[in-house]
Amino acid sequence: MHGPLNRMRLTKLLVTSALLVVVPLVAAHAQRGPIPRTASGKPDFNGIWQALGNAHYDVEPHSARGAMAWRPGPVVPVPAKEVVALGAVGAVPSGMGIVVGGQIPYTPAALVRKKENLAQWLTRDPEIKCFLPGVPRATYMPFPFQIVQSDRAFFIAYEYAGALRNIYLKDPGPPQVDSWMGQSVGAWDGDSFVVTANGFNAESWFDRAGNHHSEALKVVERYTMIGPDHIQYEATMEDPQTFTRTWTIRLPLYRHVNPDARLGQFKCVEFVEELMYGHLRKTPLKP
Amino acid sequence: MRKTYSILVGGGLLLLSATAPLWAHHAFGAEFDPNAPIRLRGKVVRLEWVNPHAWIHIEVKNKAGVSEVWMVEGGTPNTLLRRGLTRQSLTFGTELIVDGYQTKDHSLKRANGRDVTFSDGRKAFLGSSGTGAPRDGRDPNERVKKPPTSR
Amino acid sequence: MRLHIMIQFASGLAAAWAPGVAHAQAAAPTKPQASWTVPRTPDGRPDLQGNWSNATLTSFERPVGLPLVLTKAQVAQLEKVRSDTIEKLGQRSDPNRTAPPVGGDGSTGAAGNVGGYNYFWIDAGDHIAVVNGEPRSSMITNPPNGRVPPLTPAGRARQAERFKRLRQFGEYDNPENRPLAERCLMSFGSNAGPPMLPNYFYNNNYTIVQTPDHVMIMTEMVHDVRIIRLEGGERLPPNVRPWMGDSHGRWEGDTLVVETTNFHPSQLVAFTTSYNAAFFGTSDSLRIVERFTRVDEHTILYRFTVDDPATFTQLWSGELPFLAMDDLVYEYACHEANYAMSNVLSGARAEERKAASRKSARKPKP
Repeated sequence: MHGPLNRMRLTKLLVTSALLVVVPLVAAHAQRGPIPRTASGKPDFNGIWQALGNAHYDVEPHSARGAMAWRPGPVVPVPAKEVVALGAVGAVPSGMGIVVGGQIPYTPAALVRKKENLAQWLTRDPEIKCFLPGVPRATYMPFPFQIVQSDRAFFIAYEYAGALRNIYLKDPGPPQVDSWMGQSVGAWDGDSFVVTANGFNAESWFDRAGNHHSEALKVVERYTMIGPDHIQYEATMEDPQTFTRTWTIRLPLYRHVNPDARLGQFKCVEFVEELMYGHLRKTPLKP
Repeated sequence: MRKTYSILVGGGLLLLSATAPLWAHHAFGAEFDPNAPIRLRGKVVRLEWVNPHAWIHIEVKNKAGVSEVWMVEGGTPNTLLRRGLTRQSLTFGTELIVDGYQTKDHSLKRANGRDVTFSDGRKAFLGSSGTGAPRDGRDPNERVKKPPTSR
Repeated sequence: MRLHIMIQFASGLAAAWAPGVAHAQAAAPTKPQASWTVPRTPDGRPDLQGNWSNATLTSFERPVGLPLVLTKAQVAQLEKVRSDTIEKLGQRSDPNRTAPPVGGDGSTGAAGNVGGYNYFWIDAGDHIAVVNGEPRSSMITNPPNGRVPPLTPAGRARQAERFKRLRQFGEYDNPENRPLAERCLMSFGSNAGPPMLPNYFYNNNYTIVQTPDHVMIMTEMVHDVRIIRLEGGERLPPNVRPWMGDSHGRWEGDTLVVETTNFHPSQLVAFTTSYNAAFFGTSDSLRIVERFTRVDEHTILYRFTVDDPATFTQLWSGELPFLAMDDLVYEYACHEANYAMSNVLSGARAEERKAASRKSARKPKP
């Protein structure tokens, strides 16, 4: 079928087909096919996921910087002697941040504490000692995590430090004790899984930049699949002892799509024994 | 925890021990000094409801009459949580009597809570009434756990 | 696609309402044992999910002179001894008591002559394990004498070599010389295993979550997670040896079978069960096979087989029940507040300094 009339039809067909492809892509740019669902019709989050980017260094927007611990230098500050040997490996990459609105709304006293944390990062950051990461830091650590979801349970196993969260589908009541990973209760809001977490201790940080909270912290997370291999993750922090209002982080989580993907193991406690207990050896190593 | 007991069962000896497996998680003998016994009487000023050991901080008066705070080592709080007790079960200012032994490092004011009781001798975390045995049902504040029934 | 989802939702809803032990649900009405059917997941497998405890009075190996199956009278006597002890240890103390004796209070085992701590911190299990209606005197059932079989010469040599390596250090010289549990690397005994065995102290609790292609088992001590893949997945190469090994599972009828290899070399060295060092001589090729069968509303029958012909003169195996636990599993963050580790090391250093100064005090002055 060739000829001017058919060519016009062909062109129309091509344009329409292109629009059929382009419009859905533009309109819902993240909708790349139907999301997997469980037998009961809920979005199926089972799988291995990981955040990209550099929020684990600093959840606020930041330029690249030379180190996470500093000392005065002849011209400008230089990396602290404990970290200078790491060179570029110890540097901090830039990041657009994940805080909606850019800045964490600290109270004045809490901002002072954040700056102290930053200045004393080496002794204060719980990650250095392989302490549990807390929530939401666990989500965007540079390690994958695995969601194991059935109709009766929603469990998250994090590779970093073997941290874990059992997200209860039925509220057991207020947390009876403070913990590093808090107590989480989850419920469905349409196709979003909404988790309310509290019962945190005051020990964990949000990143390697000294951002902190108190025991009053409450985190509300939303997990929404925006495609079969992407979760839109949001977490809203409420902590009147630390922040002047609630604030939210937002970032995508990416599925490990390799069919052989599996969670690795990073039980780092033994990696920090020299750091934490080396001075108590019978014969400590020479400095 | 302090008793090894055995009974003769049939022709054999069944050793039932509430004490150590061969290689215990840590031997208390590694941490505390049997030659440094202590008896403390003081008020609770802080509770660390942590694993592997809870720590009860009590403020006592030393021989010179000066206040000092001692840390008393307990067990896993998870056991108490499942019996319905929480750190709110032991309020600040409650007076406790503790006997035990100081850490081998005598620069530390820390001791094992060999026996932690209220000032009238009742065990500290056993509930506020009843004979003291867990789950005897006599403590209205103690949540009685449903025992598994496999038989 | 919408219709497909609706059908899935309806069948899922039906499955969710099937009888099962969810700790939030009311107890199902009691029925005669014969008519009990195993609750199933939406994909038709026996439902192993929930919180479970393997705490028990029954020991790992059989005490000499006892048969596998205890009589009712024996069970009653053993359980009464335990409950009497609990009652006794809960009695009121003398408020006028003095400090315990100098030189120690004579307590043995982990209490370490300093009396440990009160029994109210302990939850060791107060029932004899019952399997198929039989109260058991040991977990080990094969060999028939209920004891770990003899080691091969290679196994004995490995044991000896490991002891030798350990003994070149004083037991308090370095953090690496302390038991895994004291370092907060793993639980005491073999809670996470595999095999997953009670520690006879507390927190012998597990959470199981199950999907069509994975089973997740979380051990309360030390918040250890085993993720067992059911379909495909390559075994790890021989040089990648994680704690708790590499586990792969499959269903055989209504039994979940899990095979684990690639054990972490330090777990082998320190891999002690509650009353013996059964795994201390094991080789790199140790293979543990576990079987999980839901046998009634409240019980998973857990069976394990130890396969290491380089170490043991035969396959050996055991079984114990995991009982449904109507309670929460709590966070066991161990390393984060591990005062004990620094107390133990600083204590040893303090004693060495004391001994050294006593020694130099005795030296004649120049």
